Amino acid sequence: MASGERRVHLGYVEAFRLGYSHLLRRLDRSTLNVASIALGLSFYTSLLLTDTFYRTYSTLGGASLSVEATYYWLVAIALTVSVVGITNAMLISVQERVKEIGTMKCLGALDRHITLLFLIEALLQGIIGGIIGYAVGVVAALLTTGFTTGFDIILRVPVTQNLTLFVSSLVLAIVLGTAATIYPAYRASRLDPVEALRYEL
Amino acid sequence: MSFDSVIELKGLKRYYNVGGETVKALDGVDLEIGRGEYLSLVGPSGSGKTTLFNMIGGLDRPTEGIVEIDGVDISKLDAYELAWLRCRRIGYIFQNFNLITVLTALENVALPTVFAGTPHDEGLKKAKKLLESVGLGERLNHKPSQLSAGQQQRVAMARALANEPTIILADEPTGNLDLNTGTEIIDLLHGLNKTRGLTLVAATHDLKMIKASDRVIWMRDGRVEKIERG
Ligand SMILES: Nc1ncnc2c1ncn2[C@@H]1O[C@H](COP(=O)(O)OP(=O)(O)OP(=O)(O)O)[C@@H](O)[C@H]1O
Ligand SMILES: [Mg+2]
Repeated sequence: MASGERRVHLGYVEAFRLGYSHLLRRLDRSTLNVASIALGLSFYTSLLLTDTFYRTYSTLGGASLSVEATYYWLVAIALTVSVVGITNAMLISVQERVKEIGTMKCLGALDRHITLLFLIEALLQGIIGGIIGYAVGVVAALLTTGFTTGFDIILRVPVTQNLTLFVSSLVLAIVLGTAATIYPAYRASRLDPVEALRYEL
Repeated sequence: MSFDSVIELKGLKRYYNVGGETVKALDGVDLEIGRGEYLSLVGPSGSGKTTLFNMIGGLDRPTEGIVEIDGVDISKLDAYELAWLRCRRIGYIFQNFNLITVLTALENVALPTVFAGTPHDEGLKKAKKLLESVGLGERLNHKPSQLSAGQQQRVAMARALANEPTIILADEPTGNLDLNTGTEIIDLLHGLNKTRGLTLVAATHDLKMIKASDRVIWMRDGRVEKIERG
């Protein structure tokens, strides 16, 4: 064998391209994952926003209102459920793709390339789910508070506070989506090519 | 002229443990495969053809014995070097094609070039050429599900060639094809072997393939039973 550069590669651009193809062409499953994140996240953001709206309202001279603490427990549960749901969906997705993963390994993929592909899918799902979740959360929070505080309350909240909330929701969505995929991605990367190629659905 | 061997198998054994019983899938195979040779692996079901395919392809590790490719014992390779071997030196063709279902024909063929670090556009250009060379220039953007079995196998052939390997391994490449499409595939493979000097190792039950090959290895119960000139 000729010596010299004996490396296989998977650049981030290519990995994104592949991850994106998988998301797009398995649209039903990825839509469910995105919805799962969006649902948990919308609950989370709506609660935080409601609280923010109430606080802003009272600093502006309105009545002192707040969100009941028990709701935060519900949010924690909702987020946990969405993580478990995504983990489950991604495990099924790994199972569906056993042969493909085996094939990729024949074509030169390293274990960590397979991990990377799954994590990129998770990342993309997290970003989309986070954005949708935030948007739904805003609407939900406005519907809860608007009749008391007035719907223009969202414009009276300091811009930086809105922005912080948006960024934190997005980060949370990405972290949860990725965390939920770590185990499935690990499982996928460890598949033995021979076993994978023998596998029949 | 001395025999220029690319692949050398020495005392190759692969045992499986199934519920306390030892299954001897390969039970001591010694074989030298020459550069540019076209070799057929023949034998009854369960005789160890696929197991041998996996060994030569660096997909599985032997229980005992050595697989050398170009004089290098592949059990000594680390994960990176093994991936490199699979990526650059060997092209695999399977009975059930094993195309990536969500990718188009073009993307499937270009996939190995991704792992080889070929720039995106260059990889696609190469893939297009290869697909044209197997007569699928009009099908670049079709998904595997939109192609016939014979067309899918031709995509798989183009993919196997994407990184210009020197060895092509095929495990019953015509096993899922009818007589005519099977013959097309055999002719393509044979042509590659002759024009590009590729070493071709094919497990097969197909008489046409057997006739076209330089040597025929008859396997039985994990051993080489006899070797015939084709
Ligand atoms: N993962 C495994 N676990 C246990 N036994 C195995 C495994 N893989 C193969 N074997 C056994 O090894 C033997 C050889 O199998 P192999 O698949 O190599 O045969 P083959 O010649 O390719 O057969 P076929 O013509 O049916 O494809 C068989 O007895 C098979 O049952
Ligand atoms: Mg077999």
